[in-house]
Amino acid sequence: MDFTVREEMAVLLETVRRFIATELAPLEQDVEETGELAPATARAIFEKSSALGLYAMNVPERFGGGGLSAVETVMVEEQFGHTTDILVRRAFGNVYEVLFAADAVQAERWLLPCVRGERTASIAITEPNAGSDAAGITTRAERTGSGWRINGAKHFISDAAFSDFFVVSAVTDPAKKSRGISLFLVDKAAPGVTLGRDQPMMGLRGTSHHELFFDDVEVGPEHLLGVEGTGYAQVLATLGRVRLAQVGARSVGKASHVLDLMVRYAADRRQFGQAIGEFQMVQQLIADSVVDVNAARLMVLRAAWELDAGRDARDWIAMVKVHAAEALGRVVDRAVQVFGGMGYCKDLSIERYYRDARVARIYDGASEIHRMVVARHALESGAALFDSMASGGWVLEPTVALDGGPR
Amino acid sequence: MNVVVCVKQIPDPAAPPALDPGTHNLVRSGKLILDDSDAYGVEMALQLVDAAGGGEVTLVSMAPNGETSGLRTALAMGAAKAILVSDETLAGSDALGTAKVLAAAIRRAEPDLVIAATESTDGYTGTTPVQVAELLGLPSVTFAKKVEVDGQTVKVERQTEAGYDEVTSPLPAVVTVTAGVVEPRYPSFKGIMAAKSKPVDTLTAADLGLDGSQVGVGGARQEIVSVVEAEARSAGEVVVDEGDAHERVIQFLEQLKIL
Ligand SMILES: Cc1cc2nc3c(=O)[nH]c(=O)nc-3n(C[C@H](O)[C@H](O)[C@H](O)COP(=O)(O)OP(=O)(O)OC[C@H]3O[C@@H](n4cnc5c(N)ncnc54)[C@H](O)[C@@H]3O)c2cc1C
Ligand SMILES: Cc1cc2nc3c(=O)[nH]c(=O)nc-3n(C[C@H](O)[C@H](O)[C@H](O)COP(=O)(O)OP(=O)(O)OC[C@H]3O[C@@H](n4cnc5c(N)ncnc54)[C@H](O)[C@@H]3O)c2cc1C
Repeated sequence: MDFTVREEMAVLLETVRRFIATELAPLEQDVEETGELAPATARAIFEKSSALGLYAMNVPERFGGGGLSAVETVMVEEQFGHTTDILVRRAFGNVYEVLFAADAVQAERWLLPCVRGERTASIAITEPNAGSDAAGITTRAERTGSGWRINGAKHFISDAAFSDFFVVSAVTDPAKKSRGISLFLVDKAAPGVTLGRDQPMMGLRGTSHHELFFDDVEVGPEHLLGVEGTGYAQVLATLGRVRLAQVGARSVGKASHVLDLMVRYAADRRQFGQAIGEFQMVQQLIADSVVDVNAARLMVLRAAWELDAGRDARDWIAMVKVHAAEALGRVVDRAVQVFGGMGYCKDLSIERYYRDARVARIYDGASEIHRMVVARHALESGAALFDSMASGGWVLEPTVALDGGPR
Repeated sequence: MNVVVCVKQIPDPAAPPALDPGTHNLVRSGKLILDDSDAYGVEMALQLVDAAGGGEVTLVSMAPNGETSGLRTALAMGAAKAILVSDETLAGSDALGTAKVLAAAIRRAEPDLVIAATESTDGYTGTTPVQVAELLGLPSVTFAKKVEVDGQTVKVERQTEAGYDEVTSPLPAVVTVTAGVVEPRYPSFKGIMAAKSKPVDTLTAADLGLDGSQVGVGGARQEIVSVVEAEARSAGEVVVDEGDAHERVIQFLEQLKIL
């Protein structure tokens, strides 16, 4: 057990943090007010960060990415949590691990341009009638002579306005239920693809969330990602990394960012002739938040470590998804309380963090669904999930890289 | 052209500082980082070497506990190698002691130009680099806001209260740069990963031919005898404009003999 961080990792983390504080944080308020990150600004931050090699750091080196391990990725992603979703997407990229299933020909067209930041993808799984029950989708892909014809509708698709292709889940064999779902790479420009309404959200200003419609969209066989019928399994296997990084680690970053503001305010703000941080009830809000942040970070690191050890880690990621998202929720709620009226007032960023945090408990699988996963694993494998001496409790010798391939 | 940059590794200024109650020295037992002031020097040096079309940047630092974190940041920015002087006998060095160590280390690198910051962020006596220059017998130019090398001379715009002086000096020389002289680059991902294999030569005082009578507590001619709280600032005078505010402001400034 060793929490020392290699020197180069420390420099990387400092660099990312400084880039965020200097280049991105000053843009946050404008995005909040206008609801948009101006395209020229988005371009500028992308160019600056990609010239430094800070784009797509989670992608293995053989695909042209930074080749960070899962543990390294979550440490970097925690830093990303210090700014907003849209700024992270543009500055550091959002290359989904599900794309690593691309074959050589597909990689040239869809994966590698994403790593270089020339193309952007969204994941399109959720439908108006299938959210938590992702296997209950009705978007259909039927075989044509040479390829597939896709019909159906998706919604809540993050960043769809900007993305130029989608990873779409569709039913290829209705009889087989979750084993009859496949993933397709669908270009936004393909005939029959329409972008619906931008569905306004409580927070996450600047990121679009769209309805998507597929009307007789004809695609060739090269658009099938991975093996037919394994779409649901692919999603389960790879979206865990997205969850761990983008919800787990970023929640820790956001919570620690807000906690820092909270602690400073408690030390500065005076009432009844003393700093409010001297009141025990305010101290409890601070202490509980410190405990929450640190506990969540340890859990994130443990889950990432499992991935580096070549384990599936679905159980650990489900725990993280519940705990980190809810810890963030508690911390932002306490922050509003410590800031009092200023916490509720739009003059400060606290109310924005409060709104932005809420979705962490919903997307990428609601807390209830992940609790269900944890409970199922516990009932199936018993003590291995929580007793450190039960089989599988400790992992020995983490040696395997991010995607199981060479680093 | 080969440039040496003096880089001080200091406790993170964002964290609350602590003084040792006995020696009144800054507590430096935790992790140290690259002093922001020196990031400008590193950037300046990298740009000068680039402009010269060849050569390299060597870092020189004296720091406790074999600290290399701050050096690693500067190496990630693009410096080629570093000399670190770290040794128990150096503890308690004053500025002159530090200058002796830095000068001896710099001599090894045989640079064409030495760059340091005008003053450090934590100690900020602003005296070390000129002492280094004296010990090396080199000309020293301070407060540089622009630096250009032209063959065997360095041309400096030297910040003054009224504007700036244009100073020319033969090389080698010691130049101290002001904050903001250039915009320090971010280390790149590749640079960061490459920095781990760049050489850091760690030396002791003895390696440099120095002993405890010249450096460290033993060599220090300066002692911090006491530390007192800074006086709280007293409330200023508020001038409410009733049409004559400008006259009252002028009066006030005249009183202070500013006008
Ligand atoms: C901002 C935002 C961005 C999103 N981005 C994307 C995206 O990019 N791509 C994409 O495909 N989707 C995206 N989604 C969709 C997101 O993944 C779903 O909203 C989420 O999975 C929940 O589905 P639902 O909204 O249909 O809720 P429902 O499934 O209808 O759930 C409603 C409630 O019922 C509970 N519930 C459901 N089933 C159970 C059960 N078995 N036991 C106990 N409780 C249960 C849920 O926990 C929840 O509290 C996004 C959503 C939001 C809000
Ligand atoms: C074991 C040990 C313990 C020390 N303990 C203390 C302490 O308690 N308090 C303290 O103030 N200092 C301590 N030092 C550091 C040393 O004494 C100071 O560097 C020296 O006093 C110069 O002070 P300054 O910060 O005012 O430099 P300034 O003259 O303000 O510095 C100007 C510039 O000179 C260069 N420079 C200065 N110091 C160094 C350095 N060490 N390495 C490389 N470049 C440098 C930098 O470019 C700097 O920006 C310690 C050093 C060692 C090895």
